[in-house]
Order: sequence, then structure tokens, then C-alpha cells
Amino acid sequence: MQKHHRLFRGMFLLLIVGFFSNNVIAQEGDLKPVTNKYAIKNATIVQAPGQIIENGAVLIENGLIKAVGTNISIPADAWVVNADSMFVYAGFISGLSNIGVEKPKEERKDLDEKLTGNPPNDYAGITPERSAADMLQANEKTISSFRQLGFTASHTVAHEGMLPGTGSIILLNGKKGEEMLYKEDISMFSQFDAAKGVYPNTVIGVMAKYRDLYRKASQARDYSSRYNTDPAGMERPDANSTLEALYPVVDKQMPVIFKAESIKDIMRVKALQQDLNFTPIYGEVKQGWDAIPTFKALGSPIFLSLDYPEWKEEDKKEDLEKKNSEKEDIKELSSEEIEANALKARKMEMIKNYYTQAGIMSSRGVQFGFSTMEVKSKNFKTTLMKVIEYGLSEDQALAALTTQPARILGLSNTMGTIEAGKIANLIVSDTAYFNKNANVRYVFVDGMKYKYEAKERKKKKSNGEEPLNADGVWSYSTETPQGEGGGTITISGSPGNYSGTMTLSFNDSTNDMENIEVDGNTVSFSVKTNVGEEITIDVSMTIDEDTFEGTLSVAEFGSFPMEGSKEPEN
Amino acid sequence: MKYIQLLTALLISVTLSKAQQKGSVLIKNGTVLTITNGILEKTDVLVKDGKISKIGKGIKTPNGAKTIDASGMYVMPGIIDAHSHLALDAINEATNPVTAEVWVGDALDPLDIGIYQALAGGVTIAHSMHGSANAIGGQCETVKFRYGELDPDNLRMQGAPRTIKFALGENPTRVHGTGNGILPRTRMGIEHIIRSSFAQAQEYREAWEAYNKNINNKDFKGKAPIYDLRLETLADILKGDIIIQCHSYRADEIYMLMQVCKDFGVDKLVFQHVNEGFKVAPELAEFGASASIFSDWWAYKFEVYYSTAYNAAILTKNGVTTSINSDSGELIRHLYHEAAKSQKYGGLSDNEALSLITINPAKQLGIEHRVGSLEEGKDGDVAIFKNHPLSIYAIPMFTIVDGIVRFDRENDPADMRIYPDPEEKIDVTIWKEKDYDRCMQNTEFLFKE
Repeated sequence: MQKHHRLFRGMFLLLIVGFFSNNVIAQEGDLKPVTNKYAIKNATIVQAPGQIIENGAVLIENGLIKAVGTNISIPADAWVVNADSMFVYAGFISGLSNIGVEKPKEERKDLDEKLTGNPPNDYAGITPERSAADMLQANEKTISSFRQLGFTASHTVAHEGMLPGTGSIILLNGKKGEEMLYKEDISMFSQFDAAKGVYPNTVIGVMAKYRDLYRKASQARDYSSRYNTDPAGMERPDANSTLEALYPVVDKQMPVIFKAESIKDIMRVKALQQDLNFTPIYGEVKQGWDAIPTFKALGSPIFLSLDYPEWKEEDKKEDLEKKNSEKEDIKELSSEEIEANALKARKMEMIKNYYTQAGIMSSRGVQFGFSTMEVKSKNFKTTLMKVIEYGLSEDQALAALTTQPARILGLSNTMGTIEAGKIANLIVSDTAYFNKNANVRYVFVDGMKYKYEAKERKKKKSNGEEPLNADGVWSYSTETPQGEGGGTITISGSPGNYSGTMTLSFNDSTNDMENIEVDGNTVSFSVKTNVGEEITIDVSMTIDEDTFEGTLSVAEFGSFPMEGSKEPEN
Repeated sequence: MKYIQLLTALLISVTLSKAQQKGSVLIKNGTVLTITNGILEKTDVLVKDGKISKIGKGIKTPNGAKTIDASGMYVMPGIIDAHSHLALDAINEATNPVTAEVWVGDALDPLDIGIYQALAGGVTIAHSMHGSANAIGGQCETVKFRYGELDPDNLRMQGAPRTIKFALGENPTRVHGTGNGILPRTRMGIEHIIRSSFAQAQEYREAWEAYNKNINNKDFKGKAPIYDLRLETLADILKGDIIIQCHSYRADEIYMLMQVCKDFGVDKLVFQHVNEGFKVAPELAEFGASASIFSDWWAYKFEVYYSTAYNAAILTKNGVTTSINSDSGELIRHLYHEAAKSQKYGGLSDNEALSLITINPAKQLGIEHRVGSLEEGKDGDVAIFKNHPLSIYAIPMFTIVDGIVRFDRENDPADMRIYPDPEEKIDVTIWKEKDYDRCMQNTEFLFKE
């Protein structure tokens, strides 16, 4: 028994260490492309919102759009996309996101209690001298999930803290972080995130800290510039990388992109801006409807979030009103039910505000782009469609994903529309993108082609269940109390007749799946693998289209949550 | 159906009232309790564009003004609460014994339903305060209850003097001494923190004065003292720009702070809670310090055992400007009852008792020239009661802020939330009580096992 325990502990350690060190996730685009010329022909080309070329062609060469129009001769060595009945759009640009930057693991050392009131800046989340450009990782998960939706570029910032560092423009393509980088340090990312347990621990501390830092920075910058003009007889300026990083901000050379989700955040940014006189961009705005007059008056750029409270159709306000108004006929509703219906109606009215604000802003002449910091990739399209359903026109939606972010971020000369000379960032969709059933078939990023299969149409069976489609290569990651791990699961065949393999990073093995069972959307199986002794790992995957959530159980060590997504067939 | 329509109509009128912060209203034929000019029977009060323009008989209704028939009702100035934590998203920046630079005005929460609940108790102004976790806490904000405004700037009482929270005794020693093993662990430590902070601020101010003297000198190459928002704020206290509002209970600590302030030439001093104020009432009066107290709340910790319900009367009779405050989202709804207790214990007159919740807190906040009594020229902040406000049967009927009716008992919708939680779980069988004692909010992390 003793011996067993030690053995298991050893294996467990091995498992964890393995997960850390060998995070195998298949990469796309490993092979050098056969050609750097592509032609998309016979397509409906939406050059810019409202500007359409029927039966046109786009020619791509060396990463740039070489030509676009109806009368384009296609070179013999171009790889041709026969895009009959397909639509081509400029690649989307996310106004603000963390795409390409991993979320740091929670490993904070406890600080000496005597420093609680005056912690080191980096401990307090104050690192304006850092740059998201230095944190880019080409295998970060959301790069591929957002690319598949049509995103080709992002204004990317780091996670966490009140001043996490500068933001950079990245292209969602590249094998190394530096290859993805397009334009470095274009903004100072700011949030109202309090430092946990140390100063500034609350929003009042954060606001005071901003004031203190900005004023210190202006003072230091003024002194430095005097010193640089004529240093004789002057004390040398203090070295302070935190304040120096803020010089371009107090000089108004660099805009400040503030994460301002709630109406209260928006008002706080406004208050700080009036006090400290920086150039603001309101990012990831969720509750903007009552701030429309403020936005109009300020004229500051805005990025609206697409991460909104869930709207369940069955709770529509009209129905609830109807329920209450019919009460006299039915005479069955209790006072509690009437109260609950009234509360639900107000809740629905509140939720509706999130979805209607984009349309209202457009109609009132407030320009905005979309940011994707909070929205999950799998919810992006449904939320966007709902925003369109509730008042935003398709052209405005397209503008908010292309020309508006390009304008706000200073990228209009190279991105945002399909014009010769711009970067070849394109989406090819099998029908109009803003159609529920549209499938993105190709995305070009910086002239690099990514191909996607059309999703199978949801054929409703008589019992209402969708057919399971587990066939393919799935990348997975799992979380243990000690950290994350991952690998791939390859499944082939059809339900009832599946076979496959699972790679395990901890012993670098590929193992055959056994005991494969299918129950509804859930595929469960086990693999046996050798770590000096044979152990059995039980896996259960609950599949929702091309993502899954599940568990990975290792003998008596417990069960760990896992999630994953289907690798696009490239 | 009708219910929902009414609800929606009212809500819309609330959220869109932004453009008209000041209103006009004629209150007719009430018993006017002016506080500073006696009781006027069957008198009209006209509020025009947010200000009391006329008090008298037979005033004609100006064009477009709303009229309230106050026959048989009592018309008094809007109640002022000198100690509240309402409408704040953060109360304590508890990480340092001195956080003079923080300001709860940065954390105003215009969506707090507590504002409306307080309006329903006749309250028009509250002093929303930083908590008591630090010897020198953050700056506070004097808030007008313009419920329905979303811009925090529209809640602030523009022009009200700055105030700052200090705290003595068990709260700051528990947070820093016990919680973090640093100063202050004792009352001596608290005095040391305040004295050394003032001394640093003096040095800071002197350094700037020396620098500014030289700055116009052509050959001057000196370096300015490093800007520091905390020291700037402390220096502003020494300059007399900020009123100290100090959480305190014991006579010895109250006396101590008066000595410290004397030593540094600070004379704007209001004590909060002040349960042992009755022991040092003559000394408070001599200093010119005032006291904002509870009517009869005590024994919730060791330092608050020696207390009396006669505190308000003793302080008042000794010439100390005294107010009765709530420090609570619940008590704020019946401050008129709290004031009335001073008649049961100590026999204050009607006017003295009402002053405890009107003109006296106004004086303590430095806003007595604008609010706290019904006088021509003052802000149109009015509370109208059925039955005398000091009666146990008093019912607040209307509450008016700057001439706008913000509470009307006859038109009081069931759901006055501005932004309902879109993710709330609706369960009408459960009533979730809000935290009432918020003085130590945001300090919980310091006391984890």
C-alpha cells in the first residue's frame, strides 16, 4: 500500500510536470505556402460598407491586395478560389482584445504586510512601461478561434492591473510573436482594476493613483525637458521607468484606451479625462445607452463590447406584460406571480438595452467600433446577429468591424477596406456574412490563406436532436490544481463506429482510444498509457458544434475539467 | 398592464430628467417650519428654478410651476444626514493608515436604490463618507439626492466645502495594528500618525513655498519638490480648505485631537459618533468643534459602552453645534424619529430637535448659507410631512430637491431601480437585506483566518 502511494505520487508529479513543459498544440501554417499569389474570382466583393462589386475578383500578391475589380487578369501561378456565390469582405479588426496574450497564472507571492500600503508598482498592477508586443505568443488559443470568425487584426493589450502596459496592433498570423506584431505601442491600456489586498485596493484608491501618477509624470517630464535643453547646474532627473512610460500620454502623443464597461466606468473615465487631460478611447463599453449624449458631447472614440447578458427568447417583455394584463380573464395569477412577472419584465427591458444601443448610437450619429475583449468566440456571431436584429444595419455592423476600428486606431491606409495596396486581410464567406447560416470558408491574413469547411447544416431529426459530429482533430487543454496541460484527440468514423487516438503531453505518447461510447452529444472513452506502470485515463467530451467541455479522470487522482476545440482542416 | 405602463412612464421620466436639474414648485398653505424664523401657519413656499424665491401668503402660481396643496401638512427644510455611506461603490481604502488622497466622490453610485429610500424619509442631502479603517482616511462627498441622474457630477452638491474622514480608537488600531502588524496599534499610535502626517505636510508646503519664491529668478535651476497627492491634501487641511470629520467615541481621544489641531492651527473640526461627547462638551464648545451623534445607539463594541441618550441634549445645552446622523441605510429613512428622541431624553424644544437634522448638520458641512432652513434665496430642498415631523405619526409625503419632486408618496412605484441587475435571479419570496453598517466595508480581506 505504502509503495503504491509513492508510485502514484510520482506519477502525479510526472503528469503535472509534463503538462507544464510540453504543451503540444498543433499549429496551422507550418508548411511554406506553395504560392504567394491568390485570386478570388466570381465573388460579390464588399469593398467597404455599402460599396459592392458584383462578380469581381481580388488578386493577392506577397501579402498585399494587388488588384480588385471586375476586369482583372489572373496570373497563371495564382492559387484560385472559385468563389461563385461567395462574398468577400475586408478582414475584421478587434478594437480591443487580449488576443495573442496568455492570461498570467495566479502565482502571487504574499507581500510583506508592512508593504501593503506602498507595494512595488508591478505588484500593484502598475506597469505602463510594459508592452503587449513583448508578450505575444503565436499559439495563444483565441488567435485561431477569432481568426475563424473573420478577425485578421487586433488591438491587443495585456491582462490585469490598472495600468497593464501599452497596446499594439497585431495580425492574427505568424509562427512567432514578433511576426504577428504590426504596430507597436499605439495606446496606453488602462482599467479600474484594483490591486488585490494592497494599495490601491479599491476604485477610490485607483482613481487617486491615476491622479498622482499623471501629475508626477507631467512634473518629471517638464523637468527632464528643461534638463535636456540646458543641464548645466541642474540636478540630474530621477530615473523612473513608470513615469517615463507615461510621458507620451501626458504629452497627448499616445491615446489612453480605458476599459469602461459599465455606465459608472464611463463616467469615471470622463471625470479623469477632464481632470488629467489625456486623449481617451472608451473600450469594451457594455452599458453605453445612457451615455450617448456624453459620447456625442465628448466626441471620443468608442469600442462597444459584444459580451452582453444572455437574452432568453422565452422571457420577452411583451409576453410578460400580456401575462399580467390577461390576469383578469384568467384570475389565477397570485400576487407573487404578478410581482415576479413585473420584475422579469424590467429585467428584460434592461437586457434589451444592451442589444439595442448599437443601433441607437448609429442613428444618433455616434460612431463606434466593436471590441472583443470579453465576448467568447462562440458567442460573437449570435450576439452580433441579435444587435443587427435590434436596429444596427449590416453596413454599420461591417463598419464597426472594419473601417471604424481602422479609423480609430490609425490603420485606414493599410486596413479596413478591400483596395489595391492594402494588406491582404480578407474574409470569404459562402453567403452574405450577416446571414445566420453563413460559413466563413477562407480567411486571408497578411496574404496567408486559412481554409475552413462549411459547417453541416443543422438537420433537425424527428426527435429534435442534432447529429453528433465528433469526427476530426480536437485540441484540448485541462486544468489541474497545479496548472494547465493539453494535447490532441483525433477521432475518425461515425457515431457508434468511432476510433481514434489521444496524445498525452506528460509522457509524450499517442494512445489508442478504447471503450468508446456515445450518449447524445457526449463521447466518452478511455486510454491506457504507460508511466512505468500502466494507468487508465477516462475521458468524457460533451460536444457543442466545434467546441467541447468535459472531464479527464486519472485513476484515483481525481477528475479535472477539460475543454477544447476542433482544429480547422487546413 | 396599467401597472407596467405606469411603472415604465415613471421610470422614463426619472432617467431622462437630466436636462432639468432645477425645477419650480409652489407649496401652498402649509405649516412652514422654517427652523431659523419660527413657524409660519398657512403659508406658501415658492421654489423657482431651484431656489426658494418667496415665502408668504397668497402667492400666485407662476406659469408652468407645479403646485402642491400642503393644507394641514408640515413643510420643513430637507433633512440633512451628516454621516452616511450611501451611494458609494467603495468606502475604505484600508491598505494604509493614511490615505488622504483618496476621495469617495470618485466612487459615487447614482444607481443606489438607497438614495430613493432615503428620499422617502424626507432626506435631501447626505454626507457620504469614507470609512473608519484609517487614522486619516479619504475625502468625503456632500451629495444631493437627485435620484435618477446618472452622471455622478449631478449628484454632487457643487460648491460644498471639501471634507475628510479621520478615525480614532478601535477601528484603525484593529485594521492596521492587529490586521497588519503596523502602526497604529494603540491610541498613542494614532496620535503619532496624525501628528507626523501634519508635520510632513508642513514640510512639503514649506518646500513648495521656498521653490515658488525662487522660480521667477532667471538663474534658478532648482528642482521642485516631488508632487504628492497625499501631502497636497494634508497641506490643504492645514490651510483650512478641508473640514476634518473625525470618527471618535472616547472623551480622551476627542480631547487629544483637539490638542493636535490646536498645535497645527487647524480649527475646522467635526467629531462623528462622539458617544462620550457629553464628558467634554464645554471643551468642544470652547474649541468650536461640533458633534454629529447617534440618538441612542451604542454598546456594539468595547469603546462604545459609556454612552447616554442625553448626549444630544447635553451637547446642545453646552453650546456645541450638534446633529443626529444615521450611518445607516435604514436609520436614514427616519431621522425625524431619531431627532424626536432628543425630546424624550433631555427635553429639547421642537426647533432644537429639528435643528439636529437640518441647520446643524448644514453648519457641520459648511453649507448652512444654502440649505438647512427655509429662507428666501436658499436652495429649494423641502420635505413635506403629514403630521408633525417629530410626531410618532409623522409620514413623509413629498421630498423636493432643487425644486424637483423626487419623492411623492401618492405616486410611489413599486420598482424604482434605475438599472435592474440583468442577471438577477428573480425570487419574490426572499428579501435580501443590504449591509447597513458599512463603516468597515472593504477591510474584510485584512481579517481572513
